[in-house]
Amino acid sequence: MPPTTDLLQGTLDLLILQTLVAGPMHGWGVAQRIQQVSRDVLQVGQGSLYPALHRLEYKGWIRADWGNSENNRKAKFYSLTVTGRKQLETELETWERLSGAVGLVLGRIPEAAS
Amino acid sequence: MMSEFWTRLRYLFTRREPDELDDELRFHLEQAIDVRVAAGMSAEEAHRQALIELGGMQRTREQCYEQRPGWWMGTVAQDVRYALRGFRRNAVFTVTVIATLAVGIGATTAVFSVVDRILFRPLPYAHDDRIVSVGLVQSLERQEFAVGGFFFDWRDNQKPFEAFASQGAMPHACDLVEANPAQLNCIHAQAGFLPLLGVSPVLGRNFLPEEDRPNGPRVALISYGLWQDHYNRDPGVLNRLIDVDGSTARIVGVLPKGFELPTLQAADVMMPLALDEGNERKSSPGSAMRAFARLRPGVSIVQAKAELEPLFVHTRDTLIPAPIRKDFHLSVRSLRDRETKDVQSAAWILLGSVFAVLLIACANVASLMMARGEARERELAVRSALGASRGRLIRQTLTEASMLSLAGAVAGIVLAEGLLMVFLRLAPTGIPFLTRAGLDVRIALFTVMLSLVCGALFGLLPALQTPRAVALAARAAKSRNRTMLRRSLVVSQIAISMVLLSGAALLVRSFQNLEGQSLGLQTQGVLSARIALPGFRYDTGQKKMEFYLRLEAALKRFPGIHAVGFSDSVPPGGWQNNERFADLAPEGKPFPEQGTGGSVVSRGVTPDYFRALNIPILRGRNFTEEDRQGSDYPVVLSRLLALRMFPGEDPLGKRIHRDRDKLWLLVVGVAENVKNGGLTEQDEPEIYFLRRSVQQDWGGRAPVGEVMSGAAPLMIVDGLVPQETVALWVRSQAAQIDPTVPVEIETLNESVSKLADRPRFETALLGFFAFCGLLMAVIGLYGVISFVATQRTQEIGVRMALGATRADILRLIAGEGVRLIVLGGVLGMAAALAAAQLLKSLLYNVGPHDPVTYAAVALLLALVALVATLIPARAAMKVEPVVALRYE
Repeated sequence: MPPTTDLLQGTLDLLILQTLVAGPMHGWGVAQRIQQVSRDVLQVGQGSLYPALHRLEYKGWIRADWGNSENNRKAKFYSLTVTGRKQLETELETWERLSGAVGLVLGRIPEAAS
Repeated sequence: MMSEFWTRLRYLFTRREPDELDDELRFHLEQAIDVRVAAGMSAEEAHRQALIELGGMQRTREQCYEQRPGWWMGTVAQDVRYALRGFRRNAVFTVTVIATLAVGIGATTAVFSVVDRILFRPLPYAHDDRIVSVGLVQSLERQEFAVGGFFFDWRDNQKPFEAFASQGAMPHACDLVEANPAQLNCIHAQAGFLPLLGVSPVLGRNFLPEEDRPNGPRVALISYGLWQDHYNRDPGVLNRLIDVDGSTARIVGVLPKGFELPTLQAADVMMPLALDEGNERKSSPGSAMRAFARLRPGVSIVQAKAELEPLFVHTRDTLIPAPIRKDFHLSVRSLRDRETKDVQSAAWILLGSVFAVLLIACANVASLMMARGEARERELAVRSALGASRGRLIRQTLTEASMLSLAGAVAGIVLAEGLLMVFLRLAPTGIPFLTRAGLDVRIALFTVMLSLVCGALFGLLPALQTPRAVALAARAAKSRNRTMLRRSLVVSQIAISMVLLSGAALLVRSFQNLEGQSLGLQTQGVLSARIALPGFRYDTGQKKMEFYLRLEAALKRFPGIHAVGFSDSVPPGGWQNNERFADLAPEGKPFPEQGTGGSVVSRGVTPDYFRALNIPILRGRNFTEEDRQGSDYPVVLSRLLALRMFPGEDPLGKRIHRDRDKLWLLVVGVAENVKNGGLTEQDEPEIYFLRRSVQQDWGGRAPVGEVMSGAAPLMIVDGLVPQETVALWVRSQAAQIDPTVPVEIETLNESVSKLADRPRFETALLGFFAFCGLLMAVIGLYGVISFVATQRTQEIGVRMALGATRADILRLIAGEGVRLIVLGGVLGMAAALAAAQLLKSLLYNVGPHDPVTYAAVALLLALVALVATLIPARAAMKVEPVVALRYE
């Protein structure tokens, strides 16, 4: 198995929520999409993906419905709820603040420092 | 947030199909295979690789389940079931822990509930920490008192107090005369008294200043109890006129429920003190009263006392006659000290001893939990290898500890209730507030928390360590540190029980001395009867005397009655009348210097007093019946007083001059000393006056030479027939003369035994705690030794195989115990010798460092502890070498 970048706790939730903005998607789709968009840097194994999906569902941020996949198999599709959308916004803000701060500490964004 | 909460709640109650998750995971797998097949892999190879990439499905499944809200609740139930199975398997351990906790929690809670009322209870007044009792003290009166002669001067010129007011010297019996008459306690107080205490009436108002003046309007406040019982809580009671002792007063208010006088005396009716200020200022000494004050914020008692000093000096030098000045001192004490000073030391000792028991209990629980934790190290390692997380193991341990603590707490609270009932039954009447003590919830919670913490803390130790691979092998030597910790726990347990035991033993010895001492009088078979004649009907000494003399004559006619005497008090303790030694001088000699010689107990008796109590007359004669009709003042001296007043002379026929009223007393006899200073104090010299058959000797006003106190006489009856019969006769004869008078009868044995109630109570309690402590310490010792023995089973096997005899093994294991006992014993002895100083005030005729007591305690402790060591040591000795070698 290729080495994957460890995801910060909570970051996976953010990635899932962001991915689902595009529309309802099944678990496999979410994993593929994250991998694609991150150009193979982020690989989400089912071992962390499904617990995360279930966690978000229990929190009421996403909803699950059974439907048919593109190749006509029975699959569970996840979609954002209204609360999830709001949550995504706050999480994004937090993330931006955090990554900005980390960037400042690492000295990578000199113009922001001045 | 709300929506999240509802979602959680919904999932809590709807169960999800478990195979939904399987379907979902299967879809994921199929997709992974499809991708690989599409890339050109064979179906089989694609399947294989996809499975590898996906990793363990079961783990994912479990993790998904764990996301479910309320998932942990299921595991708690699981933990509880598991713990219960463990407890059943280890019944001895479980019962020991619960019993230890129950004793620790129960004893602490019960004792604290009692002691709290004495030491820490807030007084029912506003700013209770600033209220002080102010006044003079002297050798005959140890509680602060004040008189009109200086009170007003002090009130006007003092600086440290923001309020200063007084109540009457003491409540007096008064009669409420109306359709439904009652005998009540009345107290007088100044208008400023209730505001000083921060108490306001629940109904109506306090006295007005103009009511607190002589010839002011007659008003009264009534107690809540009287309002409730007598007036049915009728709000219309205000402005009602009541007849108290024959004069009317208007009710202006009702005191709050639970109101108590700072002197803790009962009072049903409060009336204005109404002193004539101008007159009082001029008089010497003026009316007696009890003064209280509220300190200004930030002023300490010491400061207040220093600031009052000039006023006191002025008072002393102007008001008190020069010869007795030395005997008067200024005193300012906190109200709490005034109320409970004499029981505070006993209360602290009880509290200390019960916390010692709690400490031992905690050490025991800790030690037991550690032993169990070590025994389960292997099990924990197995569970961890099977996938249990650290958190899960810790939670399991915590669950067990809290279950044990909970069970111990329940048992402890039940025990506390029981103990409290026993305390109340056993307790002497003199301890303030005790009868109102209830189980204290705060302290119950505190002790439960404490035991929970010590149980959990030590139970957790093994679970907190990462389960080591070596633990699986189980042969590895167990952690040395923890055994050391357990050993030190045992040493401290033994030391603490040594302290408790020696304290208890000292008290027992002291109590034996107390019970065994000779009182100098006969108490067996003697009855005392107190007959309080209602003041408004028996309003002259003549009427009272007639009643008593008729009763005496009637009783004397019974053939089984040996003696019927009167006195105002009976030794050895309780209230007694006093004379000043310096107030008495033999004829022809000067009075001793005032303030010297202390006090002399005085009793006004009839001739049968000596016969009833069997007090021998050593010289001269007893009073006679003729004396009773005479007009002289014959007296009998105790041997001690005769020796002090007439050293080397014959006191018989000598006359004594009393300074107070210039009365001449004639010595007719000398009686043997009796114990008259209470059970524990030094004997005092004593003078007996004759209670003659004249009205002024029975409570009437005397024009001159009043020898008798105003107290109602106490009848003392000695019968040859059973006491119940005598008591019956006394009651029936009294009823024949006047059926309405109340008769209180007590056997002298009871009254003496009552005096020993306090020491008996203290001894019983401390003894009980010492016993509990010893029991638990021994259990702890036994636990450690048997644990060490089991741990070394294999070593024992090796030693025996190499030729060690069974005696060697016994020495090896028992030696360990002996070391702990000796160390604990020595430490405990040192601590006990230091702590014994605190007991000093409770001890009678035994020093705090009494060697016999300490030797006995050490011996007892050593014996019991040795037995606790030898049992597991003998078990180790009997192990078969082959079994021992194969042990794990």
